[in-house]
Amino acid sequence: MSDEQQVSRRGFLAIATSAIGGLIGAALAIPAIAYIVGPALQRTEQGEWVRLGLTSNIELGTPTLFKTVIQRQSGWIVNENELSAYVLTENGREFIAMSNICTHLGCRVRWIGDQQQFFCPCHNAVFDKDGEVVSGPPPRPLDRYEVKVEDDQLFILGG
Amino acid sequence: MATRVGNWLEERFGWRAVWEAIFLRKIPKVNWLYTLGSATLFVAFIQIVTGILLTIYYVPTPDHAYDSVQYITNEVTAGWLIRGLHHWGASAMVVLSVLHMLRVMFYGSYKFPREVTWFSGVFLLLVVLGFGFTGYLLPWDQKAYWATTVGTEIAGVAPGIGETILLVMRGGQNLTAVTLARFFGVHVWVLPAALILLITIHMYLVIKIGISAVPKKEVGQ
Repeated sequence: MSDEQQVSRRGFLAIATSAIGGLIGAALAIPAIAYIVGPALQRTEQGEWVRLGLTSNIELGTPTLFKTVIQRQSGWIVNENELSAYVLTENGREFIAMSNICTHLGCRVRWIGDQQQFFCPCHNAVFDKDGEVVSGPPPRPLDRYEVKVEDDQLFILGG
Repeated sequence: MATRVGNWLEERFGWRAVWEAIFLRKIPKVNWLYTLGSATLFVAFIQIVTGILLTIYYVPTPDHAYDSVQYITNEVTAGWLIRGLHHWGASAMVVLSVLHMLRVMFYGSYKFPREVTWFSGVFLLLVVLGFGFTGYLLPWDQKAYWATTVGTEIAGVAPGIGETILLVMRGGQNLTAVTLARFFGVHVWVLPAALILLITIHMYLVIKIGISAVPKKEVGQ
């Protein structure tokens, strides 16, 4: 009465071979994928406070470019990366620090004093003094750094 | 569904005949020693996969070789596993190749009509040893450095051409960045090309001629 299916020797071996093969394949493929994507998933540490310079060097009302070098670990190498930021203050007490990296595709923007605007040479993006988009393709204003002042020295939180 | 896809492909390039020739061919009644060749092929496959993965992070220059290997081993997710498989797989390749060769020798499987299969197997063994020798230098640690110093020095004592062989292997008088770069090049390009070519020949012959049976005991001797 029972309708048990008879598994032939050949069928059993085929299933067993596929199962073991699948296990071995998974045992190899899963670590392989983890291995390839691993470094991409590692969190970049929240940066440290990076000293830019004296606050008295900043012209009132004009974005001033500060450049500094930070050390960064990438893989097995410690790189020296340049960190640049435009700092703007209207009153000498409150500061905003903007990244000079265009939010469109990562080119460097430049302050043009005559026109009182930031220009990106790659795709003609234009930002105003506060980093807001005036025209062109950027999806958002220029990124800002956290800022603090200690002993008349300006620091930004470098990421 | 699977059958339909199979049929669709079958009509276009007739893969079933190939599949049957490879996997459903008739073989004589043999024993477990006849699996050593397949085992070697399997480990070779593991070596190819893990070797390709290692090149994603490994850098073959004296500045970076050691550090990149340490990075793979200690920092990259599952890097210890990938490197470990490649490391132990290398030894397994040599052991399995030699055992497979001994099986072929003791059962007389190298005889007519399988001489060419045997020749290709001998070259495959040389390729495997070449992989072991060149791969040993790549971690660029003390063991690697001195093992290759000694290994190339041994090649150097061959009469007549020894000195030339040593210079060509090292790419100069000393073991330098040039040596590391050429060992890497040989390890990841020259030898794999040779390996794949020889495996193709070897496997074609195994399938085309068929494998030998276990020799019969002679009665009454």
